[in-house]
Amino acid sequence: MRATSTHSLHLFYFVCIFAFAIRSPAQTDLMKHENVQRGQADYRQSCAICHGTEAMGGVGPNLVQSSLVRHDEHGDLIAPVIQDGRADKGMPAFPLMNSAEISDIVAFLHARVALASVVSSEGLANGYSLQQLLTGNAEAGKQYFYGAGKCMTCHSRTEDLAGIAKKYSPADLEARFLYPPRDSVTAMVSLNSGKQFHGKLLHLDAFYVAILDQDGWYRSWPLQQVKVQVHDPLAGHLQLLSKYTDKDIHDVFAYLETLK
Amino acid sequence: MTFLHILKRSSSTRIMALLLLASASCLPAQNSTLTDSIPSVTGSWPTFNGDYSGRRFSPLTQINQTNVHSLKLAWAFQTHAAALKSTPLEIDGILYFAVPNRVWAIDAKTGEQIWQFRREAEGDDLGQRGVAFYRGRVYFGTTDAHFFCLDARNGKKIWEDTVADVKFGYYISVAPLIVKGLVVLGTSGDSANVPHFVEALDWETGKIVWKTFTVPKAGTPEARTWPNEQARLNGGGPAWFTGTYDPELNLIYWGTGNPHPVLAGAGRAGANLYTCSILALNADSGKIVWYFQPSPHDTHDWDAVETPVLIDAPFHGKPRKLLAQASRNGYFFLLDRATGKNLLTVPFSTANWAKGIDSNGSPIPNPAKEPQLDGTLIKLAEDGGTSWMSPSFDPQTGLFYFNAWRGDSMWYLSPGGRPTDHQGGGTVPLVASSVLLALDYQTGKIRWQRDSGQGLGGASVLTTAGHLLFTADASGNLLALDPATGHALWHTRPGGLVDYAAPMTYQLDGTQYVVTGVDGVLYAWSLTGSL
Repeated sequence: MRATSTHSLHLFYFVCIFAFAIRSPAQTDLMKHENVQRGQADYRQSCAICHGTEAMGGVGPNLVQSSLVRHDEHGDLIAPVIQDGRADKGMPAFPLMNSAEISDIVAFLHARVALASVVSSEGLANGYSLQQLLTGNAEAGKQYFYGAGKCMTCHSRTEDLAGIAKKYSPADLEARFLYPPRDSVTAMVSLNSGKQFHGKLLHLDAFYVAILDQDGWYRSWPLQQVKVQVHDPLAGHLQLLSKYTDKDIHDVFAYLETLK
Repeated sequence: MTFLHILKRSSSTRIMALLLLASASCLPAQNSTLTDSIPSVTGSWPTFNGDYSGRRFSPLTQINQTNVHSLKLAWAFQTHAAALKSTPLEIDGILYFAVPNRVWAIDAKTGEQIWQFRREAEGDDLGQRGVAFYRGRVYFGTTDAHFFCLDARNGKKIWEDTVADVKFGYYISVAPLIVKGLVVLGTSGDSANVPHFVEALDWETGKIVWKTFTVPKAGTPEARTWPNEQARLNGGGPAWFTGTYDPELNLIYWGTGNPHPVLAGAGRAGANLYTCSILALNADSGKIVWYFQPSPHDTHDWDAVETPVLIDAPFHGKPRKLLAQASRNGYFFLLDRATGKNLLTVPFSTANWAKGIDSNGSPIPNPAKEPQLDGTLIKLAEDGGTSWMSPSFDPQTGLFYFNAWRGDSMWYLSPGGRPTDHQGGGTVPLVASSVLLALDYQTGKIRWQRDSGQGLGGASVLTTAGHLLFTADASGNLLALDPATGHALWHTRPGGLVDYAAPMTYQLDGTQYVVTGVDGVLYAWSLTGSL
């Protein structure tokens, strides 16, 4: 038994979290700091041969996973190791490295730890490249667009989609064609008196409906006193999400990328 | 005449409801022919889940279907803190609850603060699920993976222990579980490739009695589910949610989270035990007696930490000691909790990440649906099919309730081979909505469902012998529903995030209270409330 069989038709709408999330700017910008850049260059010259280009280990230990590195504060633990080496573990000393260079290497290592310590999987640390995403067949995508996808029902390559590939980054374009920003859902609210209000749907739960009417006024009603018809222009996108194969997605993306 | 008609209708409705309630309370509950081997919570709420079973079913009936429409606000307590995600405990008239690095004791009848413990600490403050109470002491963990024992009378520290190294992303968010004088807790953290563990501390001294890692020991058959020592030793499996306990079997049931790195599975070929698993631990030794893995070789962050609910009920006509979990991967699992044998694996959502079910009842991950360089579409929301939100099992209806998520998301693998960060990939959310599901525990079939609104709602569920189900939706409503049908019997909009803190109930001096957290405020509802 479905508890909300009456309301479910009205309530059956979804949210799109359309902001295309990449890592936080603070996190991705870490490597751009001047001292980190200098430290990276110094590190690659003196340290990478043993500890790896990304400080994730080689013949020497993984420094991103190093307790000493993670507990270091302003070089208090790292600097002595660089200056004195660790003869017992085969690490040479770098007595000629000056304090500024050591400070830069310390900054680089801390930046690497911070960059590796990604808590959320939302977005990609290094973004997306067109090369990474462009694995589909544009011609097959075109056929899907005009065939099974029925995309031309609402869209045109010469009108709303003209130049779409120039308008959005590859990653943004892929997210948007799969499910565009959901800001166009409307509702028709019919009162018992027969009066009707139409506008942008702002809220709909089991008890209340609210719209922004065509004059720009916020209006709300108890759901039991009105009838609500929701119009979701993205319903076709939602349906396609249940039909797409990954190949379809890659093909359609490849086709849309031709619309420069 | 109209008034009289309404009055008559109202009276007859109430009389009918009272009769129904009376008859329901006189009749044996659906499963009462079985021995209830786990003592139920009574008029208080002394542990995270009320009792050891994880059912979150209270026998209190003062608030029931006939009067829930009269529920009023009895008091509110403003923490001026982060959103409450913990379940308060109620012991001898005092509520104990927490947010990251802060604990309160307040009067359960008035909301008056008795004491507060506060500590500044580094670390992840994503959430704090609550405290434990034992022999006049309050236990809780902090964002820097320290663990505290406080004097319940005044909040003064008795002892403090360092559980793990915060510099590797460890923190403690779990509400501890007290078992036979042991304080059982698990580690949280998902920002570094490290191992995780469940450990038991002596209640009095804090000394570690046992410590069980959620990756297998070297040389065991389970260790061969990792390709090498490096991958195994850094394999993850955070134990970030409170488990349950069967005193007769002396088994603690504890779920584990995802392997590390999170989305990149190429460097850890194999099932990656004991990540994304349900562990049955001997309460005295911590030894793993059996395990079941809902998500072998997880590459989607499908933590299997969701409460393993213990049910004594028939299965195929025979009384069984059951364990039910609605798992983050979109599947409902039913196990024999004595042996770990799988009895049922049924998807409650479209779980296209799996290509079948293996002979043990575990879903078989589809390699084509692991995160890909050019992306793959997963028919679940970006955070899965459900998560930390506490479920409830109502022995009166025989239904298992939980808030689920529906949606779609794209999953990408980071380029460049070996991942340079802890995730090794990323997700792009597409659509997401929330829905309250009522499942028949014997079949996994959805008996009713109720849309909860847009986005990833976080509502937990409480059921009571008053034939009520308390929860919230993602649209700002606190709800009391008929657990048999899902129909709303009471609702209110207290403002703010209503669906993060799990509802609980207790009775004091003849008054039953239902407590819910809304943002940083605790609200207590009762029939004698005046607001």
